[in-house]
Formats: sequence, C-alpha cells, structure tokens
Amino acid sequence: MSGPAKLFQGKYVSTDRRVREDPRFVAGHGRFVQDIDRPGMLHVALVAAQAPAARIVKIDPSAALAMEGVVDVIDGAELSAAVNPLMNGLDTPKVQRFPLAVGQNRYAGEWVAAVVAETRALAEDAAEKVRVETEKLGFVIDAEQALEEGATPVHPEHGSNLLLDRTFDWGPVDEDFARSDDSLKLRVTWGRNSTVPIETFGVICEWNAWEKVLDVWASIQMPKYADQIARALKLHGNEVRVHYDVDVGGSYGVKRGIKQTVLAGYLARKLGRPVRLIEDRLENMRSGDAHGPERIFDIEVAFDRDGTVNAMRMRALDNAGAYAGRAPFQLGKPIGAIVGPYRINSVQYRAMSVTTNKAVQEAVRGFGQAPTNYAIETMMDRVADHLGIDRLDLRQKNLIRPDEFPYEIPSGSKYDSGDYQAVIAKVLEQGDYDGMRAERDRLRAEGMCAGIGVAACLEPSGGNSSFEPLLNPANRTSTWMEGSRVNIDALGDVTVAIHTTSSGQGHETLAATVVGEVLGVDPDRVRVVRPDSLGSLPGNSPVGSRMAIMLGGAAANAARDIIRQAIAIGAHLMDADPGDCSYDSGTVIGPGGAEIAWTEIVDVAHRRFHDLPKGTNPGLTASFIQQVPTGETLPKDGKAQMYPCYSFEFHLVLVAFAPVLAKPELRRYVIGHDCGTVINPHIVKGMTLGGIAHGIGATLLEEFAYDGEGQLMTQSFLDYLMPSSHEVPEVQIVKHCTPSPLTEFGQKGSGESGYLGSPAAISGAIHDALKPWGIHLNKLPIRMAAISDAIAAAEEKGHP
Amino acid sequence: MKAAPFDYLRPGSVGEACEALAADMEARVLAGGQTLVPMLAMRLSRPSRLVDITRLEELSRIDRVEDGVAIGAAVRQCIALRSDIIASDVPLLAAALPHVGHPPTRARGTVGGSIAHGDPSAEIALAATILDARIMFLADGEEEEFSPEEFFIGPTVTMAPLGGLLTRVVFPSRPSGRVGAAFHEIASRRSDYAFASTGAQVVLDGDGTCTDALLGVGSVGDTPVALDVSALAGTRLGEEDIRGAVEAALEDLDCVDDLHATATYRRRAAAQLAAQSLRNARDRAVEETA
Repeated sequence: MSGPAKLFQGKYVSTDRRVREDPRFVAGHGRFVQDIDRPGMLHVALVAAQAPAARIVKIDPSAALAMEGVVDVIDGAELSAAVNPLMNGLDTPKVQRFPLAVGQNRYAGEWVAAVVAETRALAEDAAEKVRVETEKLGFVIDAEQALEEGATPVHPEHGSNLLLDRTFDWGPVDEDFARSDDSLKLRVTWGRNSTVPIETFGVICEWNAWEKVLDVWASIQMPKYADQIARALKLHGNEVRVHYDVDVGGSYGVKRGIKQTVLAGYLARKLGRPVRLIEDRLENMRSGDAHGPERIFDIEVAFDRDGTVNAMRMRALDNAGAYAGRAPFQLGKPIGAIVGPYRINSVQYRAMSVTTNKAVQEAVRGFGQAPTNYAIETMMDRVADHLGIDRLDLRQKNLIRPDEFPYEIPSGSKYDSGDYQAVIAKVLEQGDYDGMRAERDRLRAEGMCAGIGVAACLEPSGGNSSFEPLLNPANRTSTWMEGSRVNIDALGDVTVAIHTTSSGQGHETLAATVVGEVLGVDPDRVRVVRPDSLGSLPGNSPVGSRMAIMLGGAAANAARDIIRQAIAIGAHLMDADPGDCSYDSGTVIGPGGAEIAWTEIVDVAHRRFHDLPKGTNPGLTASFIQQVPTGETLPKDGKAQMYPCYSFEFHLVLVAFAPVLAKPELRRYVIGHDCGTVINPHIVKGMTLGGIAHGIGATLLEEFAYDGEGQLMTQSFLDYLMPSSHEVPEVQIVKHCTPSPLTEFGQKGSGESGYLGSPAAISGAIHDALKPWGIHLNKLPIRMAAISDAIAAAEEKGHP
Repeated sequence: MKAAPFDYLRPGSVGEACEALAADMEARVLAGGQTLVPMLAMRLSRPSRLVDITRLEELSRIDRVEDGVAIGAAVRQCIALRSDIIASDVPLLAAALPHVGHPPTRARGTVGGSIAHGDPSAEIALAATILDARIMFLADGEEEEFSPEEFFIGPTVTMAPLGGLLTRVVFPSRPSGRVGAAFHEIASRRSDYAFASTGAQVVLDGDGTCTDALLGVGSVGDTPVALDVSALAGTRLGEEDIRGAVEAALEDLDCVDDLHATATYRRRAAAQLAAQSLRNARDRAVEETA
C-alpha cells in the first residue's frame, strides 16, 4: 500500500442508476416465504414458557392431539434426542441450546413444545390445549447480578453465568495513565434493542425421500446456514438445499432462523410432509431472534490538559440472554475500531458476556459496534466538558491525520484510508454549523432546552470474522470468503450469480453494476441469478457490511477472468500475443488496431473448438472466490487485523425540547459520510437514512424491557416503540469519498451507516441542552420522563 | 396471532343487534375494530360472537337533539372530525378529535367504540367526561343512561350493562356566550397513547370575565377525570388565576407509573398541559365576537 488511492471514474459505478430490485417490491411482486405454497404443507405454532425459569415436569399433548386437523405435538425431549445442539460460538460445551427447551426453560416465552396442524390457525388453537406442568426455578435478569457470587446460574451444568471474560492489554496502558495529566471515569449503558424487520422470520422445510434432500425456503440472513442445518439434523452437507431466490423482508442481523429451521426440518423429515413455520410478531419479539446487544460500559480515560487522549480502559459487560450462540462475538467486532477515529496510544479492553434469563441476544446491525461507538463518543464529550474544551476541538486534536494511513491502532487493526478532517469541515460548512449554533442560542433564549450533538465514528467493513479465533482459540477461522460466477451464453449475453439471499441490500444491483462496469456492458442487460446452495460457490451471507467489498470483488474478478479468456481467443484468431491485445466493451483489439468482435469470440468459445487456443476449454465462464483483503493470518498475541476497510461518518444534530414535557425534537440532522467509492448512490443513501432512523429508535424509544418478574414488557408494537415518519427528521447527507486502496473500485462498506453514530450524536445533543443543570443520563433509551424528572430534581436542588 | 374461533353476525337492525347480544353474554360488539381486532389476534379478547354494527344506518348519524348533539355509536371518527355540527356545537370534542389515532385508524374507529372500550387515554372519553356527555345503552328493551363519571370505572373497565348495546353518546351543546375550547396531549410519538392529555372549555362574558370553566385530565390514571376549576369563574383567566386553579385541581390527582412515563412526569406534564389548554381556550373565546 502506498499513497492514497485514486478516485474511481466509472461508466456505471457511482452513477445515478435506479436500483433494479425496487420495481418488484414497489409493485408488490416480491417473493417471500409467505408466498411459497408447497402441496400438503403443514403449519407450526409454538407453546411458550410462562415463567423465566422452570423445570418442565410433564407435557401432556393429548387434548391438542385429539383435535381434528392436528398432526403432531413435539417437545424438547423428543427433539434433543434426534438432533445435535445448535452452534455455540464459544468454547462452553455445557451451555447447550436446542430449538425447544430441554428439561427446563430459561426465559419467559421460550418455546417448550411445537404443534403441527393443517393450518396455522388450527395449530394456534391446539397450542392452547397443550398442558405444561412446571416447577418454578430461581432466575436472574440483570447482568451485574448474574455475575455476583451465588447468583442463580442460568445453566447449572456450566457452573456460573460467565460465558466470556477476556482482558486485552494493547500498549503501555498503565504507563500512559501514569504520565497523563488527568483522568476520569464514566459508565454508560446501551439498552436492549434491535432491528425490527417488517417481515418476521419464516421457513419452509420439505424432505424429499427419493432424492434424499431437505429443501429449505427461508427468510434468512445467516452465515453458513446450510452447514448448520446439516450438522444439527445429522445430514450430509449435500443433503440440504437452501433456495436463495427468496426475498427477505428486512433483517440487519436478526434473521438468524437456525432454531426455527432445525425444528421445521426435523418435523418435515419425521412427518414426510412440507412444514412451514412463520413467526407471528409475539413469537418473533419474545422468543425469536429479535434482541440485540445490551451492554454496560465502564470506562476510564487518561488525557493531558491540552486535550490529548492517551489511554483508555474499557470494560464491556454484555447481557447475552439465556444461551451463547453467536452473540458474544458482538463484543469482538469493536476491537477492530476500539479507538474510533482517534490516535489513542494504548487500550485495555475487558470483554465480558453473561447469561441471564432473558431472550437470547442475536446479531444486530453493526455487530456490537454501535454500542461501542456510543461509549467512545460519550467519553470524548465528557473529556471535553471536564477540560472546558470545545467538543469539536477535542476531537480535531485527537483525530488520525490523513497522512497517517494506513494507520495501525493498538489492537492490531490497520485502518485503510480516510480523511476525517475533510469530512468534518464539509459538514460544518454545508450543514451551516454557525447557523445551527445561532439557532440553538435563539431557542435557549426562548426558554427551550436546545443542544448540538456531534459524533465521529467508523464502520469497519468486509471482515474476516477474526473475532472468532480471537475470542475462542479453538476456532481457527481465517477466511470469510464470497464467491461469484459470471457466465456468457451462446448469444453473448451476460449472467452473474449471487450465492446468498438478500434482505434489501440491493445485491442484484451491486453485482450487475460491477460486472457491467468491468465488461463494458449496460448493467440492465446483465442477468442476475441465485442458484440454490448446492449449486453455489462458498459464501458467508450479507453480514458485517461486506457485500460491496466481497461480492463486488468476486463479481469483478470473475468478469476480469472473462476478459482474460476473451483476449486469449481474440489474440489467437489474430495470431497475436495476448499481451499485445486489449479489451474494450466486448471487442478485442490487437496490435495495429485490428478488432475481433464479441459475437466472434462468443461463437468460437461456444461452437468452434478448432479455433480455440490449444489447451483451452470451450465455453466462456468464470468463477471467482474472493478472500478478505488483508485477511492473511490468525490473530496473534491478542491482536488481529479485524476488518480491511473503514468507512467514516460524522453526525451533527440540533435537538430542542421544552423543559417540562421534554420531548426531544430533532430540528436539524446533518451527516457526513465517506464509504469510499459508492457503487450505487441510492442504495447508500437508503442505508444511511434507515440507519439514522434506527439510531433514533435506539436513543429515544426502543427497548426490550423486562420487569422484576422476568417478563418481557415490550412484546408488541404497543410498547416496543419504533420511530414513525413523524419522529424522523429530514436528513442532510454530505458526501465525501476517500477510496480504499484494498478493493476493486475503492469501495468500503455502508450497510451499517447512520446507525453507528446517531445514538452518540443525539444523546450528546440532549446533554448539551441539559448542561445548565449538569445532568447526565447514562442509559439508552433516554425517555422523556427521565429528562423531565432529572430537570425537576436538579431545580429542586437549586440548579441552575 | 390468530383470533380464537368466534361466530360473526351482521344484524340488519338495532333490534336484531340487541337480541343477539342479549342472547349471548359472551358476545361482543364490533364497531370500528381498531382496538378489538388486535386484541382478538393476541387472544386477549375471546368473544363467542361478534355482532357487527358498522353498517347500521340508525347508529351512523350525527343529530342535533333538544339538549345537545347525539352521535351514533357507529359514527366513524373521521366523519365526526369533518362534522360541521360537532365543529359548531361541541367545540371541545372537535378540538380532541384530531388527536385520536391516525388517519387510517380514524377511518374505521368509531366514537362509540372509543367510549365502550374505556381506555383511560382515549381522547373522546376525556371530552365526554369533561362535558358530562350522556352515554346511552339499550338493554333488555330499555334505554339506560350513564354519566361518564359513573361509566368509566377502571382501565378498560366500564359499567356497560351485560348484553346491552351502546347506541349513542349525547354531548351537551356549547353554552351561550363566548366559548373557547382546547385539547392538548403529550406522547413520545405523534398520536401514540398519551402520557397525559387535557381538555378545557371556558365561557367569557361580554367584557372578558370567565363565567364558567371546565377542565379534565386523561391518560394519567385509571380513568379520564373532570377536575373542578369553578374557582376560575369571575376571574379574567390571568396567568396567576390559571396556575392557582390548576394547582388546586391537580392536588389529589392519582398518576400511574410505567415503563414509558413515571407518575411524577405525568403529573408535571398534566399540570403544564392543563394550563396550556385553559390559556388556549381563553384565547379562542376572546377571539369569538360577543
């Protein structure tokens, strides 16, 4: 790597082209699981546990089975005898998880039995008739209580509630603290929230006994889904066929679906009929894969009087819920950007994950990065407050400079490129920061609480899943590849294959644009197909903000291989050296300007073996499996190159509210966004706006909250409050492009943009507004009552 | 989220509807269904039979009657919102209606359904409570009348007679004089279940002195409540008058605490909104020509 990458000037990449998926969704012609009807299909409803923890004494299905149309009722005892436990990312073999509770349940709402009937309505009627006899057990809801000596273990066999406790020391932390002028401590808490897809999870499984294959149609976004199904159901890998041509109605992490699929797959094999399980909203929110990280951060930060931040100690305590799964890894991703965009010399990071009697934590947009960014940015605000330095000046003082890239942070990850100063300067200018400050002061003079919030943060993208071997040494993962195939048919038309489902990310547009760009073909003429998993190259699904980098890279490289083959054929026809020939939009150009047309090359490849260069196979097709750029080694000495590409975003927000009613209104919202070369601007814009709306929810409204009895209080949209169009303001997006030197066109990830910084910015704006009262509200979501009550309490004590 | 099995009946007349309800104590009336249908889907409500009154012409009228405006139980909220009769004769209800739900829910939700459900945060129920509307039932062939104060007894718990049918709600017409009404509420999202809601109506005489004032608070406790602000009569509704009256009126107000809003917040917000409602009502009354 040397010097900054050049801006990419494309014919199709970065141009204002429509998203090819949009028309079918807008017109109502998507094809979702609910739209797929298999002959003889059966339907599943679930019986949910009432208490947060209870021993299952007896399950009596007789009344349910006596109903007409009810086919089967199964419980965890039957299922666990037949299938393997679900994948556990950590090395905690006694924390076992099955799709239905075995012996005891571990959270309220956990599925204890499944009822199969001719219709879903019938299955729900019958589910009420299943009698579950239980004995209540002790339970624990709070992460800190779960850690205490003598706390009720969620998994008694495991011995404690601690799933993971790793401390990393990167750099001379103690020395840096000792040499710093000052330090401060803070605690912030990220509430349990999530992405909430408009479509709940759904799956259809069908066992074909003659072909010996399990067909699966699912609303899925899960890495290595087919492998996990085969392992759990004790099938060979090639006995599971996942159909990727199913539209997914939203995900951002939560369409994990593995327990549902193993359950439906088992039933389909047992009963010899297709089985469909589509969660209703209650099943989804209470016991599906709906809950994201819930994290307490304890931070100590050391700095000098001039604002230089030298070192940080961070303890992150994550409430994983009842089982391990993949959730604890969400403490790992942030290691790749643990200092944010700042030159912090040394870091101690303690990652702790505990079990509690709550629903299981699953992956959510950012995979743990959004909570960490909120913690880092709140820390920066506190340091600025403490020193009496302007928040922007403090950030400017500590930002990594554009001439320092590639920049290696203490945890071992190298940031590829960036120009944070340029993005911030653009936002302040185009967003009219001076005007915003004047507006804030005007509002304050009118008696309103008004504040400005800022947040600068990174979106690590396209990673190697290096947090797996870093947090679990038994795990030896060092690739997180993605494959693509480009095929030229006998008429010379181009088809590119995607080997995963998509949940709204526009991968068809991505693949067509990239292949069109490389081959010089109008992307609208490029066909995009999705073979099933048995016809697919290896891949890892659209997680970790990776597809522009990884699918984009695979498709571009496959297209380059097509060009290489075309040149070889053209050169042979011209009797020229391939090294002297070039390719331009289908035509091969020889020395002296001779041209071989695309039709001629296709004709040779498909029909005229005798005209092919010696040793060349017929046909014109190429597959490419893209390895993660920079993903060369396993983590070493607690350090890892976690992600290749780092997008940057800077938020600037003006919030106002009246002191008593305290309803925060977002008066202005400006975001500067640099994700390198943009493949399709509409997709990136949609991601960013949606991410900001998601962040507004996380900051002000959304929480999966449990009461003291261990019951989920927010299990429908009545209480789980998502921002509506009334609560989401107009957003001004300020664009900047610092290409990545590591990718095909300079692209980076953008699937998590907006969400990664908006909570910190909105919270910061509220705190700026609350400054006269000296109030800190350290837990998200920040509810109106908390603001108003805190102001009232402060005023009683004589503030301001 | 599928309803438990139930029968469905669409009667052709009020008489038929009453017969059906009297014959089956587990039957429920389906009016707009904006609350009932989600409750059915979550199996929180499990009626044996739904009696659908939405197409009964007799219950879909807004009429001026001797002592007020009678609103049929099946009058949809969007129709009430556009009613000239309500706008001119029941200004407080007119001020409350825009806060009810959203356009899609108002297109189906009914005035009668809102009253019958008895949600403490329902705007129409609060307006009815403040104005002391008359809630009319037909049960056993007899007309029964309830005042809001006796009708609303707890969160979604009412005195509705078993097997009875809510037929209409009679709102008293505006008093003579210069009348102003206002309605305010606060929630974390537009038109969500309010944390506090208030309505006020004042009457001014020719020189701007208050002759009557009404105030009520909803969403903070188990039922909407009318509060005594009669002390405002004789004042000119100055800032001090309003503050004192609101403080006294809210002194014994019971507020609930939940995940979304604390009791202390609800009380503080109710006080602020109550004063705001009285001020706005006053300003509107002042604008009316004597």
